[in-house]
Amino acid sequence: MVEKAVLVIGGGISGIQASLDLASRGYKIYLVEKSPSIGGRMAQLDKTFPTMDCSMCILAPKMIDCSHHPNVQLLTYSEVKGIKGEPGNFVVTVLRNPRFVDETKCTGCGICADHCPVEVPNEFDEKFGMRKAIYMPFPQAVPRAVTVDKANCIECGLCQKMCQAGAVDLKQQPQEVELNVGAIIVSIGFDLFDPSQIPTYGYGRYKNVVTALELERLLCASGPTGGHLIRPSDGRIPRKIAFIQCVGSRDRRFGTTYCSSICCKYSVKDAVLIREHEPNTTVSIFYIDLRAFGKGFQEFVNRAKSEYGVRFIRSSPGEIMEDPKTKDLKIWYEDTVAGRIENMTYDLVVLCPALVPRTDARNLAKVLGADVDDYGFFRASNILTNPVDTTVPGIFACGYCLGPKTGDIPDSIMQGSATAARVAEVLERV
Amino acid sequence: MVKRVKYAFYLGCLIPARELSYEVSVRKVMPELGIELVDMKGANCCAPFSIQSVDHASWMALAARNLCLAEEMGLDIMTLCNDCYESLLMVNTILKKNPELREQVNQILAEVGKEFKGKVDVKNLVDVLYGDVGVSKIKSAIREPISGLRVGTQPGCHLTKPKRIHFELLRGFNELDALVQATGVESVPYERKEMCCGGPLRDINDDLARQVSRQKLLALKDAEVQAIVTVCPFCFLQLDLGQLEVKRHFNEEYNLPVIHFIELLRLGMGMKLEDWEVKAHRIPITDILKDRL
Amino acid sequence: MSELDLGFMGEVANTPRGKGILLCIQCGRCSSGCPVARLTSEHNPRRLMEMIILGCKKEILPTQLPWYCLSCFTCLDRCPQGGDVGEVMFALRNLAVRHGNMPAGVAAQAKALYETTRVINPVRSALDKRESLGLSQISTEGLEEVQKILKRTGMEKIIRSK
Repeated sequence: MVEKAVLVIGGGISGIQASLDLASRGYKIYLVEKSPSIGGRMAQLDKTFPTMDCSMCILAPKMIDCSHHPNVQLLTYSEVKGIKGEPGNFVVTVLRNPRFVDETKCTGCGICADHCPVEVPNEFDEKFGMRKAIYMPFPQAVPRAVTVDKANCIECGLCQKMCQAGAVDLKQQPQEVELNVGAIIVSIGFDLFDPSQIPTYGYGRYKNVVTALELERLLCASGPTGGHLIRPSDGRIPRKIAFIQCVGSRDRRFGTTYCSSICCKYSVKDAVLIREHEPNTTVSIFYIDLRAFGKGFQEFVNRAKSEYGVRFIRSSPGEIMEDPKTKDLKIWYEDTVAGRIENMTYDLVVLCPALVPRTDARNLAKVLGADVDDYGFFRASNILTNPVDTTVPGIFACGYCLGPKTGDIPDSIMQGSATAARVAEVLERV
Repeated sequence: MVKRVKYAFYLGCLIPARELSYEVSVRKVMPELGIELVDMKGANCCAPFSIQSVDHASWMALAARNLCLAEEMGLDIMTLCNDCYESLLMVNTILKKNPELREQVNQILAEVGKEFKGKVDVKNLVDVLYGDVGVSKIKSAIREPISGLRVGTQPGCHLTKPKRIHFELLRGFNELDALVQATGVESVPYERKEMCCGGPLRDINDDLARQVSRQKLLALKDAEVQAIVTVCPFCFLQLDLGQLEVKRHFNEEYNLPVIHFIELLRLGMGMKLEDWEVKAHRIPITDILKDRL
Repeated sequence: MSELDLGFMGEVANTPRGKGILLCIQCGRCSSGCPVARLTSEHNPRRLMEMIILGCKKEILPTQLPWYCLSCFTCLDRCPQGGDVGEVMFALRNLAVRHGNMPAGVAAQAKALYETTRVINPVRSALDKRESLGLSQISTEGLEEVQKILKRTGMEKIIRSK
């Protein structure tokens, strides 16, 4: 008897897409997500290429669909611990980490967070903003329930006292559940290469050197600055911004020798957005090769040059120097087209880091018995003919956890649907 | 790398020729810290970059001959000069890892009855002080901390680059800075710490060497330090005697006395420098170290 | 423009320390950080690699171009591809020397090495000071072995030809 149920591990856009596709075909979906809310990276972005839509505006309806769909069960703040069985009949053990809040009772009113005395850096805002020890990860979180970060909680009990719905339960225990599913989809996404591994870029020491994801949070209307692009050191509007491509990507020193495939795209997108936001701010992009393929991208680059005046400099700078008084950043570079060594001072430097497998990807692969490639991405059983099958029959993967195929949002959605089709095929056949 | 208390002392060419005070300070300080140094008899030049530029096989064989001498002594090597360090370390590392190259070099060494076996390690003074002796032992050896002195350290290019050879070892600016702080001296961070002193171009392209040294001196001047602390005799030569040359050529004043770390350590341990040693510093150190000398 | 030697890149790649030339993607990270490149437009590590790749043997080997490098290894540390300009420089210099191009300062050091086992030697006053301090004498103890080695590697011939 084939279990007409599917486990989806990872609640980002590709996992969400796969879940909705399959749910609408009548399959039961268990959507397991490690963090307190589904949404993934797309929830952190401001606007997305090519439509320049607000990312959350596209994502949120799909997140709501997941939460309301009768066939979808969300298991957030949970992790997969073990599996047994075979395609058509897997038994999966999932650990439900205690959020110390009853999801069914929490109304998301936020009074608990208002009164919580503990403030810690907010991971969702890439540590730019703060959150409380009891917190809603972001305004559009699904499920719309708060979570207690026990590691930082001082157990003062104020949240419990203030909660009108009696939803806070500081004695909640971890819970193991067993799920019977016919197939599994892995969609755990990516992490960013840590640029502090390249000390000459000053990331982590210089306040005005940020990653592209941090920039997205600064640009985002629901972010820590309300969408105002400001310099971290003094809150001024930056007037000269530089993007540095290939920070960690295409780099043999760190083993991340691949091209991360989306950074040229998003940096041009961000450059155009910034030019639209702040016409008095100039943007320069330092690149090795400009990889502008498909989907109207070359045309977009041309417009960025001609209409928006974005400067493209073919050079990979090796170091950034901070002026200790102004916190401005000086970059020496060779303009390889002109053959001249030059230097320029910028207000803000955005590093475009390599996208790497999540730190727990290898572990999960081990639990599932699936192969990963040398980089740690899930290996397709045949990269040409079966690109979304993992090396374990009945287990599929989509999105960036498969590697930098062409990991932008439309592709992630496409792969999500592809795995849904593969799953349906397997379940209906077996 | 293993901790040792006894080393084959590789002096190189520059120190006996021009920086006797460095050698003397090392010989006075190390035994007090429990490190025994044994002179290497018949050692030849390490084959620094100028020689490496002429012929590759000669570099390998010349450096390897020194490694063989140390192997015969049954001791790891400690060098003072960064160039010596980089040359011997690179050859030692390459020959240990590459059997084909090892075979080729041993064929050359056979002519002089020697064979590289890969039995020793190459260390630098900073390695030994930080790794073998340790900061806490050094701190306790300091009788009177040298206070009120702000310096910029010059670790030197060949102590820290290329990282793919050095990263497995104790390497980084932090080690030298920690050692300096142990004497009571304040090591001031400054932007261009990694930058070359210009030494390698000395006598090959003096004009360029001077320009590079000038950039380094300007960076140190900007950092508002009172002195420069070196570990490599080449850096010392280029920034001390070289400072006079740059001063003259560009008509600029830097006022940056240069002192070897081991000399600071020696002073901190309560020993005094002799007159000739003080005078060996072309930019006078008398002002900054007044009654300590 | 003088003729290109299309085999030059291969020649450099097959010289010891030169194989990195095959990996260069001309990103410019080396020249962006090179301290000498900032001081003179004569020296540009990326451009030098480009010239090798294109086959500009005549524009490089007989000239000053291989001799501006400090061997500070800043480029080596930063190259993302393992192109290792700093290492290729040594291969280039070895080739230049073989073509009869060696700066006087380098030739002098090589000669001193052959004659005394050292590239720099103490002057009389330094030797006297050593003696007065009771330090071991500077000898030429290994000279015979060093000369044998240099004869065997062919460097002796190079030194004598200058």
